[in-house]
Amino acid sequence: MATTAATSSVQEGSTLSAFLALIWISWKRQARARQMVWIALGLLVFSLVAVYLQTARDRWGMHHWRWPRGRDPKALTYLEAVNRLPLVLAVVQPNAPGQAVQHAVFGATRTILSPEARVSLPSTTDQPRYGDRLACSAFQVFSQAVVFSIFLTFLLPLWSLSFGTEALGGDRENQSLLWLLSRPIPRPLIYLAKFLALLPWCIGFNLGGFALICLMAGTPGRLALQLYWPAVALATLTFAALFLLIGAYFRRPAVIAIVYSFCLEVVLGNMPGYPKRVSVGFYARSLMYERAEDFGIQPDRPSVFLPVDGQTASLVLIGAALLLVGLGMWMFSRTQYHEVE
Amino acid sequence: MPELLDSADPGRRDRHLGQMQNPSEMPKAEGEVPHAELPLSRERKDQPLLLCQRVSKWYGPVLGVNQVTLELRSGITGLVGANGAGKSTLMRLITGHLRPDLGQVSIFGIDAWSAQAKRLVGYCPDVDAFYEEMSGWQFVEAMARLCGYSRTESRRRTEAVLHRVGMANRSDRRIRGYSKGMRQRIKLAQALLHDPALLVLDEPLSGIDPVGRAELVALFLELAEQGKCLLVSSHELEELEKLTDHVAIMARGRIAAVDTVARIRDRLADHPLTVRIDLRKNGGPLANGQSYRHHRDLAAQLLAEVPEVCGVEIVDSPHPLVGRLLVRARQAERFFVELNRLVLDECYEVIHLETLDSSTQAVLGYLLRK
Repeated sequence: MATTAATSSVQEGSTLSAFLALIWISWKRQARARQMVWIALGLLVFSLVAVYLQTARDRWGMHHWRWPRGRDPKALTYLEAVNRLPLVLAVVQPNAPGQAVQHAVFGATRTILSPEARVSLPSTTDQPRYGDRLACSAFQVFSQAVVFSIFLTFLLPLWSLSFGTEALGGDRENQSLLWLLSRPIPRPLIYLAKFLALLPWCIGFNLGGFALICLMAGTPGRLALQLYWPAVALATLTFAALFLLIGAYFRRPAVIAIVYSFCLEVVLGNMPGYPKRVSVGFYARSLMYERAEDFGIQPDRPSVFLPVDGQTASLVLIGAALLLVGLGMWMFSRTQYHEVE
Repeated sequence: MPELLDSADPGRRDRHLGQMQNPSEMPKAEGEVPHAELPLSRERKDQPLLLCQRVSKWYGPVLGVNQVTLELRSGITGLVGANGAGKSTLMRLITGHLRPDLGQVSIFGIDAWSAQAKRLVGYCPDVDAFYEEMSGWQFVEAMARLCGYSRTESRRRTEAVLHRVGMANRSDRRIRGYSKGMRQRIKLAQALLHDPALLVLDEPLSGIDPVGRAELVALFLELAEQGKCLLVSSHELEELEKLTDHVAIMARGRIAAVDTVARIRDRLADHPLTVRIDLRKNGGPLANGQSYRHHRDLAAQLLAEVPEVCGVEIVDSPHPLVGRLLVRARQAERFFVELNRLVLDECYEVIHLETLDSSTQAVLGYLLRK
């Protein structure tokens, strides 16, 4: 066998160097696109196309909505009709008391419907007027249709699990975890390094994807990005910790994570009362509702949803992430991976 | 079969200790990985390098390793056994990938599960999984970085071990394009990186061509001469005997015998074994006009003509057309030669032959196969 020049002094390996090297190597290895990441990318492209088409057709906002749905006039058409009606009624209803009553009714209707009347007239009820809603309806529609219904419920968990379950689950699946477990790195540090290597990918993809979708939607999207990004970042942190734990514990982590995301998160997240408080989405929503409160964003039924305040939501999300990472480190340090050989 | 379970000969143990006491006096080969200063306190020198104490491991209801006790200090020890005998489980326990359910595995007194013990152990696994997207060099260097070495030190060690396993000129290709033999060499290279005191090599010669085998055997012998302890597993005793005459034979999760092959043979000669022989009672006619003989005739002939036979018992068989004998014999090798002769010469139709002691059967299987 070939040999080379003699070596110099002996160096003992340091645990810190090994830990940092593991973060770097794991981060690089996360870059390899796997099936789930390709699916995540595909969904991002699909979402961008859908949002672009909506934006191009000026479909954000409620001005094009019809009531009854799909058949009768749009709100603005109805408002124009109301504005024209007094002229007609002046002819058919010439007496002054009758006209006074009709003017009062039409004036009230215009106040409710007209976006311009929003600032000048104070609201008398807790519910925002229709005109208020119409004025910022683009942001509201974008928030409800894209942010809450699609992004928070579907895309955010799916993108997080694409990376989260791969971090350790991928190594388990292709048996390369063996190499990490053979090195002189304490097991809790292996888990922590995997989490730290995973975070830039998860946060980058989720926040980057969210930003792209928002920017594609124009003005309402930019406002949504400005208001909602902290909630997206914190939810990503928690989801990443959760899915890494699932990857470390279950043999089929992607399946378990998908079941969790689309069954437990959705079912629990929509249950009345307190059960929903175990779902990550609840706290992300609460944080979003608080930040967008001034724009009329609130739960459909606040008395049923029972949101927590933003500070509590942030603390819970950060605390849950730390707890999950700690739990994962403890579990990983005790788990024997029989399938690794 | 407890009488086969004696540990290695005392002289061998002394030789190893003698080698361990002066590691600085050993000649260094060029390109050799620098020896890490093992924290060899006086107490540690007196300790065995590897100590498995009554180790058991279950996989659910299946017992993978059963009450194994093994003590190694240095030199090469072969670990042989059939598939499912528990070799890989034992190796995973030794390398800290598994934890024993009962008993303890320690490396110089340190629990094998701990990260500290892994500094003392190099593991060349049987599993063929790599970071396939990397080249051989990148993979070995990554493993060096994960041992905590600086970038410069990692490169130096990587270069040295790749030279040592004969992969220096081929290490820039991606691993996914490597042959089985090249992959084996890369696995071996990463195991040598941190200059471990104990090398656990699971089937290290499988898939390697004869020239490569000779090179790696020379390397293993060189490592053993330097005072390293090598535990090498294989299916084939013949292959291991090129490396060492000190073997541990595993069967059904137990270590059936640990010693030199010659000593095991000697012990086996004195060890009585029970053999079950099933014969057809009314065998059909043969081409020469004779017919197969009855099992009672065989019992009589064994007692009369084979001196190794201590006793024969005719027992009931579950099948009416099958006769069953339980034969107690010594000198297993000679007994089987005589039995073979009788069966062929005297026309007995044997339909089943089984050694009832599984440990003995395993040892015999390896010794007789050779």
